[in-house]
Amino acid sequence: MTQWHPHPDQLVEFAAGSCRPGISIAVSVHLHYCSRCRQALSELESTSAVLFEQQAPAPVADTAFASLMDRIAREPAPAAAPEPQTEQRFPRALAALLPESLDELDWKQPMKNLRVTRLMKDDSGLIVGLHHMKAGGRVPNHQHRGEEISVVLEGGFSDRLGSYGEGDFIRRSGRDTHSPQADAHEDCLILSVVEAPVKLTGPLGWILNPFLKA
Amino acid sequence: MTETSPAAQQWADHLEAVARRQDIPAFEALFNHFAPLIKAFALSSGLHRNGDHLPDELVQEVMLAIWRKAASYDRHKAAASTWIFTIARNQRIDMLRRLRKHQNDLPADDIWELEANTELFGEVRQSRVQEQVRSQLSELPVDQRQVVAKVFMEDKSHQEVADEMALPLGTVKSRVRLAMKKLKLSLEGLDL
Repeated sequence: MTQWHPHPDQLVEFAAGSCRPGISIAVSVHLHYCSRCRQALSELESTSAVLFEQQAPAPVADTAFASLMDRIAREPAPAAAPEPQTEQRFPRALAALLPESLDELDWKQPMKNLRVTRLMKDDSGLIVGLHHMKAGGRVPNHQHRGEEISVVLEGGFSDRLGSYGEGDFIRRSGRDTHSPQADAHEDCLILSVVEAPVKLTGPLGWILNPFLKA
Repeated sequence: MTETSPAAQQWADHLEAVARRQDIPAFEALFNHFAPLIKAFALSSGLHRNGDHLPDELVQEVMLAIWRKAASYDRHKAAASTWIFTIARNQRIDMLRRLRKHQNDLPADDIWELEANTELFGEVRQSRVQEQVRSQLSELPVDQRQVVAKVFMEDKSHQEVADEMALPLGTVKSRVRLAMKKLKLSLEGLDL
């Protein structure tokens, strides 16, 4: 159970499957940590199922069932993927994007306290990446253009709007400026989903824009 | 309502029969009820515009997945119709994304995990939610009902529904929120 959550509209679009791919990954990661949002999702899916059953049925061909049974007889079921033996460090949606070790990723280090890497760009133009802040490290004040979502994976950080820990889902819009600082006792790893490059309000403007050159 | 409806129980029984003994008559009963709904669900997202055969292909893929995954269905965690809806949703997401030919996408099952909920939300509790939703849906004003049907079934974001209906985004969002309130979902009790 975490303190900061997706907006209900985002959960509705997640349940319906219509949200942008980058956002669906962030919501999925948050759900891993948050039983309250899992319950809300379960209710939204129950609601969807009622609407699904209330649709006007669209007839299928009389032969459809027989051809399905033929296919079942012909095609052996694919072997189920083995269950992971150990507790996974990251939720499944994120693990699917990661190599064996975080060190294999192409990290860029715009400043002493921060390194960033890009995991994917979805077809709606969202960039999914990781931010790794050193314990106690602060990132200079910057403004966001477009929406940015952060989900804390390990450790915690705070800015003038609050403090955040594992699983928290933080939404920032284009008008917010903030200067996040990692908690003192451990490094902070954050999943980030950004719409547009971050624009620093200070002289370090170009530094936080490694994604621009990627 | 603490009992589940007879129909809901029957679908769960059929899924268990498929899981335990590959019961073909039970599977056929599921097919006869759900295949035309899966096809309607495919049509509502416009799949047929990318190829006439796609809605029928989605029906086959989803029913095949139900046959193969029946052993992982747990009636203590979900109502049968909810479980089937989530499979149909995930397969439709994969099919729509394949059509967009975007290379970066993860399989939907990695993101919308069918097994993610370890809590026993349960057949009874889910059926209660469903009863509530069923009885309240018919009470919704037409404008709310229409928007809810589009947002929940047609693979359209709030923004896309707003564009299609020539309504402000805020209007679409507030209609959905008002409807959720009337359906008495706890989502609306969330302090945001």
